[in-house]
Amino acid sequence: MTEVRSPRPRAYLDHSATSWPKPPEVVEAVVGAMTVSGANPGRGAYAMALAASRVVFESRRACADLLGIPDARDLVFMSGCTEACNLMLKGLLAPGDRVVVSSMEHNAITRPLHALSLLGVRVDMVGADDTGLVHAGDFERAVRAETTRAVICQHASNVTGAIQPIADLADIAHENGALLLVDGAQAVGHLDVDLSALQVDAYAASGHKGLLGPQGVGVLYLRPGLDAAELLQGGTGGGSSEEESQPQGRPERYEAGTPNTPGIAGLGAAARLLIAHGAEWRVEEQAVFLELKRGLGAIPGVTVLGPAVDEPCVPTLSLVSDRMDGDRIAFELDRRYGIAVRSGLHCAPWAHRTLGTLDTGAVRLGVGHGTSTDDVEAVLTALRELLT
Amino acid sequence: MSPEPRRFVIYGFASVHDAMAAEDALKAGEVAVTAIPSPRALGELCGIALRVAPQDAETAEAALMRAELPPRATAEIDDV
Repeated sequence: MTEVRSPRPRAYLDHSATSWPKPPEVVEAVVGAMTVSGANPGRGAYAMALAASRVVFESRRACADLLGIPDARDLVFMSGCTEACNLMLKGLLAPGDRVVVSSMEHNAITRPLHALSLLGVRVDMVGADDTGLVHAGDFERAVRAETTRAVICQHASNVTGAIQPIADLADIAHENGALLLVDGAQAVGHLDVDLSALQVDAYAASGHKGLLGPQGVGVLYLRPGLDAAELLQGGTGGGSSEEESQPQGRPERYEAGTPNTPGIAGLGAAARLLIAHGAEWRVEEQAVFLELKRGLGAIPGVTVLGPAVDEPCVPTLSLVSDRMDGDRIAFELDRRYGIAVRSGLHCAPWAHRTLGTLDTGAVRLGVGHGTSTDDVEAVLTALRELLT
Repeated sequence: MSPEPRRFVIYGFASVHDAMAAEDALKAGEVAVTAIPSPRALGELCGIALRVAPQDAETAEAALMRAELPPRATAEIDDV
């Protein structure tokens, strides 16, 4: 007989994939965008269309404020971080360009780069240490070796939680005439990200992970004046509809078609919450994460991948056990204990190759807003039972 | 009975985002502003336009310049 179980976990530790549960304010904003302001934003001036336009406008401003972007027009709404990475890479790179990229990247970066390599973009990889941390000196040597169009690096690892030295990479890139393009999927929300201070040229981020928004929405920051080609052409609502070519003004240039207004509304609500409470929430989640990391380190046969306990990182880690395969651990945690974690390669085979876990994969645990000490104790107890 | 048409000054912008930001700037400058569908008087611009009374136009335009949101197009229309 087929086993029927509630999909609701007892403990949710997959925040690196998507945050859950979403704050009630986010859910209310999503519903509001489908009920109170359910018109097509920017496509009319009747009251409900104006309300929908206002939702998108205010959400953009909230996200820009959260991320330290002075002009909200430089922040573009995307379907997610993957689309943002695609635009960042395909909009800025051309055949003949050379890029230097870290070996810890997610497929959202590596696959578009592979597609670009088939068109004549040269991709040179820089390795990381066994905690997943890249070193600025390695990038500096690689960038200085030959003319480089762009340095590409994640802000934080989706496998080990390592926080990469983005400000240093920005200096290296700019001193050598290159762009710095960053995948911030795992950083935003978990770190206090100030893009103006970081001096990045482009920064892609997921809306539904640490930012606590709904799935199906992400953002891309392009620094003022950076001319990235748009991936899509189409209707934009405002401006000049008679023009044959895509409007070049921001943000419309990059937002052809009806936007995901409910998703954007939810993300805006989440951004406002993070502006108000993010600092406090980050302290809480780091405390819980530290407890988890320390506890895992004390379980015999468990190896925690990533930075040492006292090193800064986003609240994500992966582990391997010498007593049970990772996929089995994830299955048993779910089936026997109702604990949600993710095994496998986490869409990051480059990272697992770097860490030596490409053949085995690993079990990833991601802490986020709402993860409690009870959740941590539940997973530690379960793993002790399973693995000792 | 329909109200008598009055003269208004209207402003068109490069994008809906700019129009929304301009509306905020005008409200912050205590200018009475109404968002309207962009009329053909603004040429090829479509989307949202902003309408103000003629006597407020000077204040409105100063507020828009301060906010670095100069209108893409300006026109006068008779409206109710």
